[in-house]
Amino acid sequence: MTPLKTVGHATHRIDALQRVTGGAKYTNDIYLPGMLYARVLRSPHPHARIRKIDLTKALALPGVKAILTHENCDIVWNSGDQLGQRKLFNNPVRFAGDPVAAIAAANRHIAEDATHLIEVDYEVLPFLTDLEEALKPGAVPIHTGGNLSLNNQRQPQPQTYKRGNVADGLKAADRVFEDNFTSAHHNNAQLEIRASVAEWSGDKLTVHAATQGIANCRTDIARDLKIPVENIRVISEYMGGGFGNKNQNQDSDLMAAMLSKQAGAPVKLEFTRKEDFVAVHGRWSSRQAYKVGVKNDGTLTAIQMTALTGAGAYRKGSCDLSGTEIYQVPNLETSVSPVYTNTAVAANYRAPAYPQGVFGIESLMDDVAYALKMDPLEFRLKNMTRKFRDQTPYTSSGLEDCIRKGAEKFEWTKRWKPVPGSGAGPVKRGAGMAMGMFGSGLGRSSAVVRLDGQGQYYVHVGVTDVGTAAKTTMGLIAAEELGVPLEKVRVVWGDTDTCPYSVGESGSRTTVQTGMAVIEAVRDLKKQIADKGAPKGSEVLTAMATTNPQPLAGVSRNSFVAHFAEVEVNIETGHVIVTRFVAAHDSGRVVNPLTAQSQVQGGSIQGIGMALHEELLYDKRSGLPLNAGYYGARIMTHLDAPLVDVVWVETDEPYGPFGAKTLGEPTIIPTVAAVANAVHNAIGKRIKSLPITRDKVLGVLA
Amino acid sequence: MKKISRRTFVEGTSAGIVVAAAIPAVEAQQKQPPAVVTDPGVPRTAIRLNVNGVNRRVEVEDRWTLVELLRDHLNLTGTKIGCDRGECGACTVLVDGTPLYSCSQLAVWMDGRSIQTVEGLAKNGKLDPLQEAFIEHDAPQCGYCTSGQLMIAKALLMKNAHPTRDEVRTAMAGNLCRCSNYNHYVEAVMAAGGTAPSTGGGNA
Repeated sequence: MTPLKTVGHATHRIDALQRVTGGAKYTNDIYLPGMLYARVLRSPHPHARIRKIDLTKALALPGVKAILTHENCDIVWNSGDQLGQRKLFNNPVRFAGDPVAAIAAANRHIAEDATHLIEVDYEVLPFLTDLEEALKPGAVPIHTGGNLSLNNQRQPQPQTYKRGNVADGLKAADRVFEDNFTSAHHNNAQLEIRASVAEWSGDKLTVHAATQGIANCRTDIARDLKIPVENIRVISEYMGGGFGNKNQNQDSDLMAAMLSKQAGAPVKLEFTRKEDFVAVHGRWSSRQAYKVGVKNDGTLTAIQMTALTGAGAYRKGSCDLSGTEIYQVPNLETSVSPVYTNTAVAANYRAPAYPQGVFGIESLMDDVAYALKMDPLEFRLKNMTRKFRDQTPYTSSGLEDCIRKGAEKFEWTKRWKPVPGSGAGPVKRGAGMAMGMFGSGLGRSSAVVRLDGQGQYYVHVGVTDVGTAAKTTMGLIAAEELGVPLEKVRVVWGDTDTCPYSVGESGSRTTVQTGMAVIEAVRDLKKQIADKGAPKGSEVLTAMATTNPQPLAGVSRNSFVAHFAEVEVNIETGHVIVTRFVAAHDSGRVVNPLTAQSQVQGGSIQGIGMALHEELLYDKRSGLPLNAGYYGARIMTHLDAPLVDVVWVETDEPYGPFGAKTLGEPTIIPTVAAVANAVHNAIGKRIKSLPITRDKVLGVLA
Repeated sequence: MKKISRRTFVEGTSAGIVVAAAIPAVEAQQKQPPAVVTDPGVPRTAIRLNVNGVNRRVEVEDRWTLVELLRDHLNLTGTKIGCDRGECGACTVLVDGTPLYSCSQLAVWMDGRSIQTVEGLAKNGKLDPLQEAFIEHDAPQCGYCTSGQLMIAKALLMKNAHPTRDEVRTAMAGNLCRCSNYNHYVEAVMAAGGTAPSTGGGNA
């Protein structure tokens, strides 16, 4: 791979100064003259019909300016449910936390007080918290049509994929392995609380939104409020993390807009941390059942996976399950059924369908390897994917190198125990690894580039930068293509009035999609400079590009990853800590090694939290969440975090901006499985449900 | 369900003590704070405090927390609210040099005290070495927890100029980062403290 001048060199974020001085303005830092504050009243019941809402006392409280309920605000929030089943305020309410009313008042204390003065008469309905219970005949239907949600073809059938014939594959096997795995609903838990600030000027609406995509947020608001998209401006200058729960528009954006309209004043709506845990969304839970056929020499003959996934009360996400694609196998069948329950809604969280699915398949494959007396690493090298779905060649694949180079850095042969659980104790060590992949497709995005008479370049991109350093990445790509230093390039972002469409910072698509648009726009600008000469004085040259590459024919473009974990398990207390971690990544050319390292270390550490700590628990008798909040979720802290060593496998990738592939989401994909496999290697017992908490460790050892 | 007011809650859970101190004599020329409508029916108290070296006299509602005072009324939005219940550390500020969660302190308790926020770290246009190191080591990802991480690190370095990796991790354990950029945060603090980050590290 040819080294480049700007791309590929460790570069500080272009907005780092704002981030370390308190100067960065996040949505909740916006204060407008005459602005009101809003709070939401939520259902205390998991399932109930609202008979009556009495606002008399709340409206009588001095300072209360507007109240929305299902009676005066009938708006479908389409991003909140892919099937259009969800309104801003629903009746019946379908989970503890479903919005019942939103109140705007002169200050947040009055708004909070008013929530206590609204009197709601509920008819409490039977509720469901368990996936299997929800599918039983006679279970109370949460939506018309029952509790099995629709598949991608909108049929009440599971989502399925099939190649070959699993029955034949299992017959051809020397041995067949079967097992079940479960994973928990856990929260994105980004530090920024959800806030939306809305202001009307005539029929023009401005929304300051904490969003991962200003363009999508804008068109979503237009669709839901049924107003022309050109009447809406969305601004998101700085965004305090989302990991998938700030895609699209949010109900808070719509509520703030409607409260502002009713009150005739700007409104800031803030959710509390507890609301963020209960009423936004987390990663969908899963119950996975596998059958795997294998020859005695370790060759796979068949994989079958049947799964239920927990959609929660609405269908906000795909609720799919991935993982089996990392194996080469001629016969594969998967079937995934998303199920409604009266619990928190599930949707996107960093590589939404992957870490829980990879946990299942990689745990089972580990067991298969041990049973065949093979090193799990050798088993993976033998069976890892070499073509997408055993059919389509990859544009580039560094998976084998990720496994080999990662293992070398990790010192696999020294740390992995051929006999699991053979350590002395009471603190036992063990090592585990797992692999993963993630699509790195190309698609539509736009960019505008201009050059003024003073030789300053401006790159307008509709990114918000969710923490990935996307603005800096766009600047680096532009500078490289222009052949100028980064200082000559000013990036303009975060405002739909000044920035063209960008794909939205989800699916790890910004670098590969918006980056391509930046390159195209720069090429046009360079051509204009060649034709017309550089602008002088007050002259300006502007170029724009909307790239919309067609899907690559006959090839598949993917990023690859292998993670290695060493753990210490205290068999007396059940306490697990990760003592060493290596993350080997093929994301093609790394655009900015400094911020890319942050992504990998952060994603890995998040994944360790998913493996060992995080679960939103429900009380089965009351249907209420038990541990919403940071203490209850026990997300990773400074003290829990191991040092993550990053190994780059920079494949020579022919597509994408300078050969860059996807990075942000693959960082969490195999982490959970690597940690789980390390725990097994340490104690000699397999824990089949996430998270791997102390009680489960002590349980399998008892 | 019995309603618990914010004031009752914070008073009941916090170990904060109002320290008698000399009331600053100089009144600050304040920037116009953001217009937040206050409630005439709510008890109020006039307090004097020093914020980032500037003496101020403000009338606070007794139910305001310190972070509300800073953000809503003094224009200091660098201090963030992540949980508003003492769990995440995003609102960490220094009160008389001690790091405290400003969501869990009442503003009225700040009478006579000195507050330092992230806006007060740079002096005469020059960044604090911690801020320089945070940029150098790419410590902030989304940046929302960064102000809190800076202030807890500042408190640590004032007491222990050259902390080890484990000392940094222990001191900062109450400051969550969901981007989980803990490795880079620790490296940055050690670099600012003049301690070269060791390669071993982590839990090893």
